Amino acid sequence: MKVLAYGEIMDGGASVFSSVAKRDGKKLIMTFSGVIRIDYPYKHLQGYIADLERLIPEENLESVEFDFRELSFCNSNGFYIIMDITELIIAQVDGPVFVKRLEDDDWQQETLPILLNVDEPDIGERVVFEDLPEI
Amino acid sequence: MTVTEKDLTNTCISTRYELSPVRNFIGDLSGLLASFADELIGAFFPRIISKKANIVITELVNNAIVNTADEHSKIVLETGIDRESLVIRVTNVAAPEQYEAVRSRIERISTSDDPRKLLAATIRERRKERLRGGLGLIRLAAENKFELSAMYDAPYLTVESRIALGGLL
Repeated sequence: MKVLAYGEIMDGGASVFSSVAKRDGKKLIMTFSGVIRIDYPYKHLQGYIADLERLIPEENLESVEFDFRELSFCNSNGFYIIMDITELIIAQVDGPVFVKRLEDDDWQQETLPILLNVDEPDIGERVVFEDLPEI
Repeated sequence: MTVTEKDLTNTCISTRYELSPVRNFIGDLSGLLASFADELIGAFFPRIISKKANIVITELVNNAIVNTADEHSKIVLETGIDRESLVIRVTNVAAPEQYEAVRSRIERISTSDDPRKLLAATIRERRKERLRGGLGLIRLAAENKFELSAMYDAPYLTVESRIALGGLL
């Protein structure tokens, strides 16, 4: 497993959110952990997004796994940053998109599919949700 | 005597916070209040319910702070939960036109045939302009299944979120 990129949000001197992009064979694994509560998360994560834009096309990856199980809270201002990251990855990696999410979490069940744009047939047919209990 | 998980859901909790002045709320007050409510309610009720409280309090308190018409005024957060329902009310000072804007937004959400489609369309529309805010109330209805209402007793605007817990216990 090789770490390709890492991004985090610092708030009040502590890390409150982190995302890691790792290569595992031909699969890209992206984890999202912590909480997104701040008003303007893009300010903290624009470097991470730039790294992903630069690095992912060079990796010849065949599938993606997004793991949201440790993202325990996302305010409505965090929606755009989740869309920015996932849209970028889905566009750059052909193949299936596996999404691990919490079975008992409203935002992951109801809103995450909107953010992933699964209503678009080209995306919806590639996305496979796996509903799991809290870790 | 053993207290079962079901017994715990017979617990009644009501809290009321009144905080002022708004201008002093320089930290993440909505997050602080929401996280505590999540922990408190989660001690007795399933997590899917306490997480709903967390999101409602975060969104409504944040709205109240950002949109207050008087930075020297107060905000009030009232939370009530029992086996029947979870009710959260947030009050702040607002101008009549602010109340009208909130009332109109709630009416649009309440009369929507498909709140999820409305949420999706609103997210996409606002993302184009990277607009802050504007999603909180729709989210509470479409994602968390709350019934919303707004009351105005000048100069105080109260937004209420209510959900029946029958299917969740």
